[in-house]
Amino acid sequence: MQATEKFDVIVVGGGHAGTEAGLAAARMGCRTLLLTHSIETLGQMSCNPSIGGIGKGHLVMEVDALGGAMASATDEAGIQFRILNSRKGPAVRATRAQADRVLYKKAIRARLENEPNLRIFQQAVDDLTLDADRVTGVVTQTGIRFSARSVVLTTGTFLSGVVHVGLQNYQAGRAADPPAVSLARRLRELRLPVGRLKTGTPPRIDGRSIDFSAMTAQPGDEPTPVFSFLGTRGQHPPQLPCWITHTNAKTHGIIRSGLDRSPMFTGVIEGVGPRYCPSIEDKIHRFADKQSHQIFLEPEGLTVNEFYPNGISTSLPFDVQHALVRSIRGLECAHITRPGYAIEYDYFDPRGLTSSLETKAIAGLFFAGQINGTTGYEEAAAQGLLAGINAALAVQGRDAWCPRRDQAYLGVLVDDLITRGVSEPYRMFTSRAEYRLSLREDNADLRLTEIGRRLGVVDERRWTAFARKRDAIEREQERLKSTWVNPKRVPVAEAERVLGQELEREYPLADLLRRPDVTYVSLMTLPGAGPAVADPQVAEQVEIQAKYHGYIERQKEEIERNGQYENTRLPRDIDYTNVRGLSVEVQQKLNRVHPETIGQAARISGVTPAAISVLLVHAKRGFAGHKKSA
Amino acid sequence: MKPKDTIAAVATAPGRSGIGVIRVSGPRIDRMVEGIVAEPLPPRRAVLTQFRDGAGAAIDQGIALYFPGPRSYTGEDVLELHGHGGPVVLRMLLERCLELGARVAEPGEFTRRAFLNDKLDLAQAESVVDLIDATTTQAARCAIRSLDGEFSQTIQSLITRLVDLRVCVEATLDFPEEEIDFLKRSDAESRLNTTQRQLEAVLDASRQGSLLREGMHIVLAGQPNVGKSSLLNRMAGEELAIVTDIPGTTRDTIRQVIDIGGVPAHVIDTAGLRDPRDLVERLGIGRTWTAIEKADLMLLLIDATRGEASADRDILGRLPATLRCVRVMNKIDLLPRRAAVEHQRGATTVWISAKTGEGIDLLRAVLLEAVGWHSTGEGLFLARARHLEALQRAQRHLREAAQHMSELELLAEELRLAQEALAKITGEFTSDDLLGEIFSRFCIGK
Repeated sequence: MQATEKFDVIVVGGGHAGTEAGLAAARMGCRTLLLTHSIETLGQMSCNPSIGGIGKGHLVMEVDALGGAMASATDEAGIQFRILNSRKGPAVRATRAQADRVLYKKAIRARLENEPNLRIFQQAVDDLTLDADRVTGVVTQTGIRFSARSVVLTTGTFLSGVVHVGLQNYQAGRAADPPAVSLARRLRELRLPVGRLKTGTPPRIDGRSIDFSAMTAQPGDEPTPVFSFLGTRGQHPPQLPCWITHTNAKTHGIIRSGLDRSPMFTGVIEGVGPRYCPSIEDKIHRFADKQSHQIFLEPEGLTVNEFYPNGISTSLPFDVQHALVRSIRGLECAHITRPGYAIEYDYFDPRGLTSSLETKAIAGLFFAGQINGTTGYEEAAAQGLLAGINAALAVQGRDAWCPRRDQAYLGVLVDDLITRGVSEPYRMFTSRAEYRLSLREDNADLRLTEIGRRLGVVDERRWTAFARKRDAIEREQERLKSTWVNPKRVPVAEAERVLGQELEREYPLADLLRRPDVTYVSLMTLPGAGPAVADPQVAEQVEIQAKYHGYIERQKEEIERNGQYENTRLPRDIDYTNVRGLSVEVQQKLNRVHPETIGQAARISGVTPAAISVLLVHAKRGFAGHKKSA
Repeated sequence: MKPKDTIAAVATAPGRSGIGVIRVSGPRIDRMVEGIVAEPLPPRRAVLTQFRDGAGAAIDQGIALYFPGPRSYTGEDVLELHGHGGPVVLRMLLERCLELGARVAEPGEFTRRAFLNDKLDLAQAESVVDLIDATTTQAARCAIRSLDGEFSQTIQSLITRLVDLRVCVEATLDFPEEEIDFLKRSDAESRLNTTQRQLEAVLDASRQGSLLREGMHIVLAGQPNVGKSSLLNRMAGEELAIVTDIPGTTRDTIRQVIDIGGVPAHVIDTAGLRDPRDLVERLGIGRTWTAIEKADLMLLLIDATRGEASADRDILGRLPATLRCVRVMNKIDLLPRRAAVEHQRGATTVWISAKTGEGIDLLRAVLLEAVGWHSTGEGLFLARARHLEALQRAQRHLREAAQHMSELELLAEELRLAQEALAKITGEFTSDDLLGEIFSRFCIGK
């Protein structure tokens, strides 16, 4: 049955990727349909109830700078906010919040329901409709056909999902949700390269059965941080602490005795799990000499009693889970409300995607989130936003937007995925970003909001606030450059108080601010230096840019040097086996990935500098005679 | 790669030697084999045969080796003809190849083809060029060492240290909620120090290697008849070996390469720094002064029986202030004097006799020391300018890093750049590799 309503963009999936994708396409003016198997689970946090963290907070800020929902929904739902690395430099500082699951879902659903160009429909998707190599729409479980020019798949762990608890397993999308088996089978038929990954969660615990007096409280930061560039503290609900406890020798003994019934250690699970988020059995096995592991008890919300014990993700049988939980200090009488489990699911090799997240095999079909082998709400949201933007751009006949590695963590994320693929669920870290000093939470808006405005995802309210901030920063920087401080007018004692030494000659304020121990606030107390700007965000930005000035300039040079590689495009239709001078290994790798630029080719593992020289030579000659025969 | 033309060259060093090798590479090897050897060659097997000219007459007898691509030096079909070493025979063989459609290879073209065919990595390719260039026995030894990968290995061990440090710094930045103290400050400082020291040692050895490859440049000056030619011949020694003998464009400048303790020395003999009399001579003197400006060292040869002449003082007065000058007092055999080295107010004077050879060893030692040569050649790397530059860049970043021990993100940035500089020598190391190291060493993750 053909649906009568016509759409430009269809988004399949209502998780963090799907919601951002649907919202972005709709904000850009596309008639957008969001298909989910359950409206109740839109914006569900299926793993731990927290948003942000190192690298991830950076992504959330970027999503926010591009008008996305995640940061502002967190401001409405966050029950504990912290800045990680607050005592380290601004580039590595990151915001993290515990979110009330119920409030978060509510905040996301409200945004979806109030987006004018977005329609929501509850129905599982079983199939895609194609016209040759182009997607034309989807078919739901009950045979309703929806047509659209772009389709974004954000199916998370639902593709052929299998949940494991001990040696028992069953098909599921996540605990209590059905998997998408038909769609997975259909996608496998399309011969897209597919792999299998694994992730897991810990058992949840009833807060009434926890002895908090035996644990250490970890309160949020004061003053409470705010996530969104447009957010305020006033949006935050009441705040709660997290709690810290530890595993012990007894816990480890219980776990070891249960390994013979572990699906991971008995080989039942084939999928590869993340190394940075290992199950407790994995931690104890791999780091046998470690006597104790830290566990954070994170509240699931203000109106529920459940706690999420972060650090004991497990797929051991339930009786072992029960015993290991109760061996932990403060959890001696714990009641488990839901067992922990591991889930195996299909992902598609992201090397089959272009940097716009469109599949190379099927035009108009975009993938975002865990389907691409990533993990984490933030990674999913960022990809969803990008896929939504590019799905809309394609409909509008505009060029795709592919953020660069030096522009955004979003660029790093996508480039890593499409050039290197994944061997485990991919998570963002700041060490993945070579331009880390330039890619900060604090300047995500300065990096991206103008671009977002041109793309059409940034609304009037955000734009006005941003433009005001940007102009204030520029004005203040100009003032600091042109305001000179004369030693004759500054008493020696004042100079020593602010600068730690006498002024030996006249300096512009901008130069003084670059000195290591001088802050913006203290500098403004120097006679003749004020008045300071009122907006603390502006002051912070002026100070950070001054401190990192030399490094940022150097990185700019590095970026320009690499520009040649990044801007030299490789034709899509080369058969690399015909390119002489490349080893067979390199030929195979290039044929698998089909990089869009020399820069991407250079980042494919195993592609040698010599091979890059050969490619440069051929690129100069236009790859005459190397095109695939039609 | 498109099929290219066939290239040929004499693969052995010019000059007289026992055997000479012609190497030919490219798609037309079959024609070469047919036209020169006149019998089919089995792959990779030495065959004793006659080399023939166009009329079928024998040019030489020798060994022919046929390496079908891609299992060859260049990755293309390669033919090697090992004949007798005389220049005439080699020239005839080469001309025969050209007759059969080959062209003379450009310098380094075989290596470039090997490189483009993925037969060599960049460091190896450059080592081969060095090997070919090596003009002295020690340079040849060092070139082989670098080719074997010892240089790469040493850099690799340096990178390993750097990675150890980066693992701790990056783990501290990316995993602040772990209870692990990844980086004790004193520990980080001492590790950085150790890495810096190791880098300096490598850099030192590489500088020496660079000296070996580039050689030292010496200007030999002095009045006519003070014994410059006899000194040159004496220093060249018996094993030596004037490797090249390139006359300058005028009769005033002669360049020679001699071996001083294993280091090639390019000696520019300034036949006369007199007042220019005619245009030709003025040009020659102009070139001489250019050579002087580029030199590492000047030897001012003085007749000890007459002492320093006013012309010598003129020369000294006109030298660039940065050029080090060693006075060599020759002809002590005519004086009641022993060979000696004197250091006075920063100036070095060596007393010798070019005629009897007395003091020549002292002079050699002074020269080696003056250009910073202080090793027997063990552990030396034949570094290229590219390697030296990369090492120096890494050194600069490590020094910067030491300034930022408490600003971890800046420390991390400098360490990243240092490692990136080193990776230019040995190859890539990705952020994913770094994360892999972190996860394998520390139990991380909630």
